Amino acid sequence: MGVTPSMLGRAALVFLLLGSALSGPARAEPTEAERMARWADLRHAIFGNRVVEDAGDLVAIDAPVRAEDAAIVPVAIRVAEMLAPEIRGLYLVIDNNPSPLAAHLILGPIADAREMATRVRIDDYTYLHAVAETADGRLYAAARFIKAAGGCSAPAGKDQALALERLGKMKLSLADRSRPDEPIRAKLLISHPNSSGLQMDQATRNYIRADFMQTLDVTYNGQQVFRLESDIAISEDPSFNFGFRSSNPGTAGVIKAEILDSSQRRFSQSWPVPAAAQM
Amino acid sequence: MAAVVLGTPASHAETAALPVTEIASGIFVHNGVHEEASAANDDAIANIGFIIGDKAAAVIDPGGSFAEGSALRAAVRARTDRPIRYVILTHVHPDHIFGAAAFRDDHPDFVGHAKLPGALAQRGDYYVRRLHETLGAEATGTEIVPPTVLVSDRLDLDLGGRLLTLRAHGPAHTDNDLTVFDQNTRTFWLADLLFVDRIPVIDGSLVGWLKQLDELTTISADRAVPGHGPVSVPWPAAAEPERRYLEAVAHDTRAAIKSGIGIANAYRQVANSERGNWLLFDEYHPRNVTASYKELEWE
Repeated sequence: MGVTPSMLGRAALVFLLLGSALSGPARAEPTEAERMARWADLRHAIFGNRVVEDAGDLVAIDAPVRAEDAAIVPVAIRVAEMLAPEIRGLYLVIDNNPSPLAAHLILGPIADAREMATRVRIDDYTYLHAVAETADGRLYAAARFIKAAGGCSAPAGKDQALALERLGKMKLSLADRSRPDEPIRAKLLISHPNSSGLQMDQATRNYIRADFMQTLDVTYNGQQVFRLESDIAISEDPSFNFGFRSSNPGTAGVIKAEILDSSQRRFSQSWPVPAAAQM
Repeated sequence: MAAVVLGTPASHAETAALPVTEIASGIFVHNGVHEEASAANDDAIANIGFIIGDKAAAVIDPGGSFAEGSALRAAVRARTDRPIRYVILTHVHPDHIFGAAAFRDDHPDFVGHAKLPGALAQRGDYYVRRLHETLGAEATGTEIVPPTVLVSDRLDLDLGGRLLTLRAHGPAHTDNDLTVFDQNTRTFWLADLLFVDRIPVIDGSLVGWLKQLDELTTISADRAVPGHGPVSVPWPAAAEPERRYLEAVAHDTRAAIKSGIGIANAYRQVANSERGNWLLFDEYHPRNVTASYKELEWE
């Protein structure tokens, strides 16, 4: 895989912002103006001088106002029906996280961009930004403020033996289709610690090595649904809700998911999709 | 309770003794308050205590901070001059084991579950930082003491004319729960495998905990010591409310997953009938449901 601008952006962002985001609870809560300035910096780091338009009603972020568990915050990006077919990229930015670019999704032509959802770690009260990118390069941004803190350094691994045993295993559930021409919607669960590297082993005083999913490729009958480039902001045991349109809903097909993690492990799994019932 | 620690952490002499109740001959328990950890309570929120034999004493959970551990040590010293040979760490949670450093000068064996070191590696640093943030100066001296003796199945500790049987359990409250059975008085110290009055915290495995309860409740004992709740309760009757809550969470969470309710909203429809039965319900129930959802969605 080649080095993409987004990867450069991510590496630079981690390097530049780690210090400030980890400085503990004593610091003052940022003002609204400071939050706006931070987004301006991040926007520039990720998109350079490209124009980023306010999405208005075209893009929305769905997330709880206050998260019960900052290490597992569900976030959905919704794109309006009229814009969805044009969308080829989605970015999820968690402004105040140590690594703000939480996810970059590259969507194939068959993807159903109306809704993509995952669960993320949130380190501090922050704005979330979702940016949708059209095939011809327009960018639409939506924002949402969320109250959650401590998600990146919070310990995971409730049952460490199980986590090891299940590493890399995946589970896919398909939603029922009421009509054969509807997009196929699916929920993919991946057993992976996706650890942030921000937890310290008390005995050795070393940080526990970060071990996270770098890319996830999902295809349907060999056609790209999406590629995800991500890092430590995705929660332990990552979960993704996505959809796609089958060009031939009357016949059965195969969904395949492939993962490459930061330890260079590869995992893949496939699932059959039955033919849609005829009308 | 605000235990006052005078002088350096190494000096124990002036520390006020933690109030304890003798629930059976030679078994002393301090009753933790039903609060979240704070500077006002020194994180003394769990039931902790000690057992005295003819030759030695064993501490079961040294408490939630260096301050509480020091006060517990003073309580031991007020009742016996026999050596403190064992400090048993029932599981990784701070309110139970963060007082361990107060017993270092006694050079005891620090006894824990075989999975405790792994859990401390994952979580210890985070817990220490959080405790210092929450308690401020009251957290002074508090640090992680790793176990020196590990239990992977069973271990008997001889206090002189008194045998304690320790058992290491599968994932339940955490993945590193230990229980202690005192053979002389048939007292079953369950620590946080048993919550009474205060809402159980699911931090290991919901399904595993229900499985452990099935097994634990077949063991006959004259009394049990819960990790939170009264210092002494009838066994196995005292486990029933906990079992009922855990079963309700399992049943309703499975139903939420099946009907496609998302992880963030599931708690609103799970085990609501239990709200009036538990202290700190709103503080812990949503997180319990999130944890259970994550566990059960793999079924």
